[in-house]
Amino acid sequence: MYKKRALSYYLSYTVILIFLILLISVFKLQIIDSEKYKNIAKKNVFRIQTIYPTRGEIYDKKYRPIAINKPSYNLYITLGKIVNKDSVSKFISINFDKSIDEVAKIIHDNRYRSYQDILLIQDIPYEKKVLASEKLNYYPSLLFKTEKIREYTYSNHFTGHTGRITEDEYKTYRNKGYSINSNIGKTGLEKQYESILRGKNGQTVLQVDASGNNLDFFKYNLQVTPQNGSDLILTIDNDLQEYISSILPENAKGSIVVMDLKTGGILAYISKPVYDPNLFASGISSAQWNNIISNPDNPLLDRVIHGTYPPGSVYKTIPASFGLESKLIEKDTKLAKCKGGMWFGDRYFKCWLEKGHGRLNVIDAIRYSCDVFFYDLSTKISLENLNRFTKQNYLSTRTGIDLPGERKGFFPSRKWYLEHYGKYVGILGHKVNLAIGQGEVLVTPLQICAYYSALGNNGVWKQPHLLDKRIETKHSYKNIAEEKHLPLSEETIKIIQRALYLAVNGKYGTGTAASIKGIDVYGKTGSAENHMGDTTHAWFSGFAKCNKFEIGFAVFVENGGHGGSVSAPIARKLINYYYGILK
Amino acid sequence: MRKFDWKIFGLLIFLLSLGIIAIYSASATKIGDNYLFSNYYIKQFIWIIISMLILLILIKIPYTILEISIFPIYIITILLLVLVLFLPEIKGSHRWINFGSIHFQPSEFAKLITIMVISKLIHKPFLRDGQILFRASLVTLIPITLILLEPDLGTALTFLVILFSILLVSDLPKFYLILIVSPIFSIIFSFSIWVFLIYLLLLIYLLYRSNLEKVIIGFVVSINTFLYFITPIFWNNLKAYQQNRILTFINPLRDPFGAGYQIIQSKIAIGSGGIFGKGFLLGTQKNMNFLPEHHTDFIFSVIGEEFGFFGCIFILLIYFLFLYKIARSINKIKRKEYLLVSVGILAYITFQIFINIGMNLGIVPTTGIPLPFISYGGSNLLINVTAIGLILKYLNERSIFA
Repeated sequence: MYKKRALSYYLSYTVILIFLILLISVFKLQIIDSEKYKNIAKKNVFRIQTIYPTRGEIYDKKYRPIAINKPSYNLYITLGKIVNKDSVSKFISINFDKSIDEVAKIIHDNRYRSYQDILLIQDIPYEKKVLASEKLNYYPSLLFKTEKIREYTYSNHFTGHTGRITEDEYKTYRNKGYSINSNIGKTGLEKQYESILRGKNGQTVLQVDASGNNLDFFKYNLQVTPQNGSDLILTIDNDLQEYISSILPENAKGSIVVMDLKTGGILAYISKPVYDPNLFASGISSAQWNNIISNPDNPLLDRVIHGTYPPGSVYKTIPASFGLESKLIEKDTKLAKCKGGMWFGDRYFKCWLEKGHGRLNVIDAIRYSCDVFFYDLSTKISLENLNRFTKQNYLSTRTGIDLPGERKGFFPSRKWYLEHYGKYVGILGHKVNLAIGQGEVLVTPLQICAYYSALGNNGVWKQPHLLDKRIETKHSYKNIAEEKHLPLSEETIKIIQRALYLAVNGKYGTGTAASIKGIDVYGKTGSAENHMGDTTHAWFSGFAKCNKFEIGFAVFVENGGHGGSVSAPIARKLINYYYGILK
Repeated sequence: MRKFDWKIFGLLIFLLSLGIIAIYSASATKIGDNYLFSNYYIKQFIWIIISMLILLILIKIPYTILEISIFPIYIITILLLVLVLFLPEIKGSHRWINFGSIHFQPSEFAKLITIMVISKLIHKPFLRDGQILFRASLVTLIPITLILLEPDLGTALTFLVILFSILLVSDLPKFYLILIVSPIFSIIFSFSIWVFLIYLLLLIYLLYRSNLEKVIIGFVVSINTFLYFITPIFWNNLKAYQQNRILTFINPLRDPFGAGYQIIQSKIAIGSGGIFGKGFLLGTQKNMNFLPEHHTDFIFSVIGEEFGFFGCIFILLIYFLFLYKIARSINKIKRKEYLLVSVGILAYITFQIFINIGMNLGIVPTTGIPLPFISYGGSNLLINVTAIGLILKYLNERSIFA
């Protein structure tokens, strides 16, 4: 160890040495090189300009536009150049659609960004821009830029919309090259594929030193060309989409999904009522926003994947196929005689047909949608098995469609009943109801569509998707969507398919309103009681085959009435149209 | 006789006051003719009051309580360092624990407590060399590893400085320190055979002067020669972007709009301040907010811009007097353990001042180390004041153990 005194000296010398180094550096910066830095500070030359990439566009399967970019006049403000805050706020509020308070808030929120241009207003009409431009000389802080914003060719829920980045989103996304003025995908495909659609920033240097000297900093190559975002080609068919939207009644609520059952590609994706995504893309005003959120029909709700509903009778194929798979019933097994209802203890469960169906086998039970058959069947199936089997058919799990926020649906378990009701009464209540798709079970229309498509695809369940997932191989396209299998034997599938065929094409089938000559339509109706209204939800789901084109579909009309009379005719029209346009 | 060192304490208070003034200016931003202020300077003032209370308590508290709490506090701090890794990221790293609006940084606390633990473990006489080396390295490497995971390179480096400075004044023969440090230089010098040869000769001379056995000299020399040959191979095996990252860390100006952006902006601000500066609140670069962190890591650039060369000299002078006074007083501390603690504290505070001001002046890489006593920031301030409080306490005690 050092001698104490020596230690003290060593320490002091080290401190002195360090401060000498700092002193020399300060001297060099502030005395020797000061003029150079004063110049830079004055000219403010050290500026780069980020070049933002053009957002990828979205097209349907035939390259027809769904979401494209259009030129837009945007007004920017640079806080550091404001001469008089009050006069500039007043100018903005008089000429544009922003109140003085809103402007004050923007200034306050961005007070630490005084050297950046802050986006004030997007998509200013040309006339307003010309009028305001004349007076812009008095307000050096304001600046017009011609940029691109999103334009949607029609309203729908799957594309979603872009919108101005929020302060919170900015914190997460700034590392990825977003600016405080960026537009970002907020919902739907715009959000899902944000990273693909956006592209990569480029940059350019605005100026060099005023006297033309190249500063030290500029000896490296700083030009970067931006990489524009990739376009998305969807599996959507704009014609079919538009046609289906047009055949729905004006005030109808509900959703319709059509998919190619061989690939899982979604051909049409309709949810009603719908909102105009263009409002969000150009910066929605508070009046417009209030208008949308005060609408009791909730147009922002995507009823295909964000709405969950009792499936009603479209669920009946699940207990039926479970019965067949576990040999509880055979193809010809007839269950309890339907006299219009059935007693369980002191509770009477009605069949929808008051006069009764008599004794039926499983095919006819689906064909006529007899409730009593399924009441009786439910006594043979445990809740746990039904729960598991529902999940195995991908009804209470997410389908994994390429959209954000998909709902999972719900199927109760014994544990759930104990937690929520304190008891589970099995047969005398819950299970009987569940077997006909009533009670606590909830599904999304997309799950139903995927399930029925899989029934049509001989048990091969294809993951529904909107982005065309076919990749080009040497000679053809290969579909890379995820593929799963329903837990059904070939035998069972044949029986269920037969029943679905008869439901549409057989005498007294519940779905005969959907039958079309020359096309094999298979389907199941559903009229689900619900707590949203007195009228039932009208369901019709199934698949149609003609030549090599096979589609699966689900038609769901919220509080629309009976599946057979409301939804089946809609299905008929859309199938007809689809095969019509194919021809 | 108890004696409180009012000179060191007075300089501390003076530095803290300068900090408040600088933060007040850094909180201001000019829009039109008006200034908008954020409340950083008020928060900093509250932190100063809290720190002063803790300093007071520390000086009054009996040594016995202090002694028994060292290891438990060390263990709690290590647990907190583990905990932060599982908390959500803030600004790209896991450094902070949040209580509402208060951000608490456990790595700050780790510095001081690690210094105390190292000193406690190695101050006793008659420890074997291996024991000293093993104990000191173990208790330092645990926090260093955890802090590197956050990741926070600057703070991790501070720990190395702490370890090195304490070992330097410990009973450990200097040969070990040469052994620890020489490979780092070998890697740096491996780019040129001539520089490396001169360095190697110097190394052999140093070892020879330390009266070491030839076997050991041979061992050290062969390790360093091996490093000379292996480094280029290792370097060439790195991916281009990895090489770039290292080169940019050493010379941020390679990336003027990324890593070098802040340094360049800071140099412009300080350089344009000139001899007399632009005046209080009037820094144009500051008011245009070119530097996002100018109330924390780049506070010196605000001082340099607004108060100019004289302002910088003044701040450097106060720092110098403060550190010089501590350095000269340290030999009055009689207990070895406390002496080691004080050297550790002096070393890390000096290191932070050097790195931070050096970063502002563009002579060292950006590492995210704040300027002690002046930068805005609660846990940093608290721990620096506590550290000085400890030294004041030890100095206070000198007559008792004399």
